[in-house]
Amino acid sequence: MQPASSRLIDALRAAAGADAVLWRAGELFVYECDALTHHTGRPAAVVLPRTADEVAACVAACAREGVPFVPRGAGTGLSGGAIAFGGAVVIECARMNRILEIDPVDRVAVVQPGVVNADLSRAAAPFDLHFAPDPSSQQACTLGGNVAENSGGPHTLEYGSTTAHVLAVELVLASGERVRLGSRAGGEPGYDLTGAVVGSEGTFGVVTEVTVRLTPVPEAVETLLAIFPDVVSACHGVGAVIRAGLVPAALEIVDRRTIAAVEASVYAAGLPLDAGAVLIAELDGPAVALPRQVERVRTLCGANGATRVEVARDAAERQRFWRARKGAFGAMGRLAPDLYVHDAVVPRSKLPEVLEAVCAIGDRHGLTLSNVFHAGDGNLHPNISFDRRDEDELRRVLAAGSEILELCVRAGGVISGEHGIGAEKQDFMPLLFTPDDLDAMRRLRAVFDPERRSNPGKIFPTTRFCVESNPKARGYERVSFDP
Amino acid sequence: MLAPTGPEALAEVVRELGARGEAALVRGAGTELPQGNLPRSVAAVLSTKALTGIDVLDADEGVAHVAAGTPVAALREQARSEGLEVPLDPPSPASTLGGALAAAALGPRSLGFGRVREQVLGLEVVLGSGERTRCGGRVVKNVTGYDLAKLYVGSLGTLCVIEHVWLRLRPLPEETRVVAARVSGGEEAPAAALAAARLAGVRAAALIDSSLTAELGGGLPEPSRDGHLLIVEMASDAPVVAQSAAALARRHGGVTVPAGAIDAVAALEGAADDARHRAALRFRVTARPSRLVAAYAVLRAAGALVVTHPGLGLLCARFTCAVDEGAKHVDDAFATAQAAARAGEGSAVLAAAPDFARAGRDVFGTPPASVALMRRLAAELDPKSVLNPGVFVGGI
Ligand SMILES: Cc1cc2nc3c(=O)[nH]c(=O)nc-3n(C[C@H](O)[C@H](O)[C@H](O)COP(=O)(O)OP(=O)(O)OC[C@H]3O[C@@H](n4cnc5c(N)ncnc54)[C@H](O)[C@@H]3O)c2cc1C
Repeated sequence: MQPASSRLIDALRAAAGADAVLWRAGELFVYECDALTHHTGRPAAVVLPRTADEVAACVAACAREGVPFVPRGAGTGLSGGAIAFGGAVVIECARMNRILEIDPVDRVAVVQPGVVNADLSRAAAPFDLHFAPDPSSQQACTLGGNVAENSGGPHTLEYGSTTAHVLAVELVLASGERVRLGSRAGGEPGYDLTGAVVGSEGTFGVVTEVTVRLTPVPEAVETLLAIFPDVVSACHGVGAVIRAGLVPAALEIVDRRTIAAVEASVYAAGLPLDAGAVLIAELDGPAVALPRQVERVRTLCGANGATRVEVARDAAERQRFWRARKGAFGAMGRLAPDLYVHDAVVPRSKLPEVLEAVCAIGDRHGLTLSNVFHAGDGNLHPNISFDRRDEDELRRVLAAGSEILELCVRAGGVISGEHGIGAEKQDFMPLLFTPDDLDAMRRLRAVFDPERRSNPGKIFPTTRFCVESNPKARGYERVSFDP
Repeated sequence: MLAPTGPEALAEVVRELGARGEAALVRGAGTELPQGNLPRSVAAVLSTKALTGIDVLDADEGVAHVAAGTPVAALREQARSEGLEVPLDPPSPASTLGGALAAAALGPRSLGFGRVREQVLGLEVVLGSGERTRCGGRVVKNVTGYDLAKLYVGSLGTLCVIEHVWLRLRPLPEETRVVAARVSGGEEAPAAALAAARLAGVRAAALIDSSLTAELGGGLPEPSRDGHLLIVEMASDAPVVAQSAAALARRHGGVTVPAGAIDAVAALEGAADDARHRAALRFRVTARPSRLVAAYAVLRAAGALVVTHPGLGLLCARFTCAVDEGAKHVDDAFATAQAAARAGEGSAVLAAAPDFARAGRDVFGTPPASVALMRRLAAELDPKSVLNPGVFVGGI
């Protein structure tokens, strides 16, 4: 990548202040990737505006200099959405982290995009409210990222993905224009542009304010941990619960390899190491409803092969159950230097056969593949532990990844349930969409960003921008830390 | 009338209209009340009534794939036999699925079901430019590509003709019970109703002005003069229903009434005008929950008859005028509805009215600033304005 022009740096400094611009190679290094580490792209510069006006000024500066830009939150994305292609400027929203308002009667919060997901729920807690979308990364990821990816989490089963909770957004378009979409009261006449912005992966502009719904904290919660002999029978258990018409808040499966990694780590939750899989089932709602639901889930798990079902006796035990789930990704750091977290969805009734086939693909390629996933939504996360310095292994990882996606599509599923397409899966889009389908999406993009200057090179199938984004071309190549 | 019998024939019709520079009015069953603005000139009516059929009803998964011309009632019946509910509440039971999605109107039960947009998993459509395209899919969680379905839902037949739908279904509740209670008059009534709407297991809650209750039919308590009737439908596990019903009995003396009471409320809002010389102007005003009382007061002071859906932040207001009083009365009613919307920090739409009342005005009121983006969207997907020209916001 060419070093950024000093004119660009000066323009960004004028837009957001001298202390808001990073441009030295060493500073840019950390922005080369997001949590999908094997895709990289170095930005020309990083700018950290504090206000929507500053964002608009930064975007305008980019327009004048003819460079694209990439909005960025915490960089926890798992599809390479926040990496810079084509010498783009990263506009990082970390400093726009204020909660502007919480209205407990309307059950609404107005926030800046850099607010961390978990901070919002913490701030709403005194009103017995919370922000329902709860990605496992919620201690770090931002509302701007959640909106851009339409993020989900374990409790999406009951409460829906981010889109169900966003009422309005303010957006700075690539032209520098500021627009407000949606309304706090709801029912604003016109097309649901807010609904289109959610999930647009930063390609429509920079979201500078979000109005979200807050959800009452449930009166009661029951958490069950069901031990199964293997992951397939756990999947059958999930199918039985869904078919029975129960709507749990969460149904999460953790498989044997993940249990082993968790138990060997600081997240150890005391799970039985001989379990083939555990199912965490959470039920919430009015206290009077739960005892019967708990019994039904317990019975259905038993009927599908669970060898033991425990019900958390108190909050501490509930947290222990969840530690196995929430600590899973962290724990996998023990298995190998790199982790490829896949994300695909299949009809829930197809989970048993698909899971079996996914594991077979991993085995066939000689890979360490583990599963920890949102089973209730049919949302798989096959995780492959690997070392990207091993070129052959990396090749097998990518080959297995494509086979898994093809498998899921054949089963009637899709190639992303919550992490987005980004720079990772764009070339798989034709598995699901015809050229006309994709063209409709391009036309929508043109409404917001006709010159494709906001987060270019993502989502749509394309020949790669440059060698930097080709995972096969990159090992642990280092940049020098010159000033 | 054009009534293509399959998706390809539908696309062919749309392409031909475009090639001839003509436009069509898109219709489902034709049961929906006249909605949106009066259309600019159209050469034909394009009906989806021949596009019917439930291709998939997957009870294990809780989803259905349905042709857009299928009546919602038909899908509901088949879903019920599998223990499932169609989480849509269109104004008329005869509405087609496509019509219900395109209008995306909130019904009383939207409180429990959620908005129409949340029930749609995937769509196959014919764009105004003639291509058959799809978005979304059959699975319940999906971020593969832009969420175009959000734009098609509520587009009132502009942008595209919906051809097939992947719809989310829900388990039928164990118990459904409807409770009615007298709520004393006064402007605070909507606030009391909001608290009732937020009880556990409530699927619909409507506060009805006393002068409208006569239209609801029998079996309901008499409201006190100048008071209101609060009708609450609970649909949940039996213990939850019992608990919330007990709370309503304690707070408002609520009693169980026939199960159809909420349908009667919906019918009240959707009823055609009965008298030949008088016309009903039906407005939908949205308000922040905390501003319901203020919005309600504005409507009542002007003599509107109001059904308030506190949980939805929605006030359905009816003004009646003599047909020969004409436009002047409509202007006044519109001004009132807009004042109520300002008080509620929401919006006001003239949702249904006879042609004379809609002629020469934008029933959506002054468009929001984002209308420029909306126009660009329409220009991208329906560049020749083939579908329902003029009916949407800002005359799109
Ligand atoms: C350990 C781990 C667990 C995870 N668990 C989950 C999970 O359970 N569910 C889930 O859905 N995801 C999960 N993720 C993925 C990720 O955390 C989410 O996608 C999250 O929403 C990204 O937020 P972020 O702030 O880090 O965004 P970033 O990674 O910085 O950016 C993501 C995308 O959002 C865009 N963007 C960011 N801010 C803005 C803005 N202000 N305006 C416009 N576009 C913007 C970027 O351009 C990019 O395309 C996980 C990630 C990790 C590392």
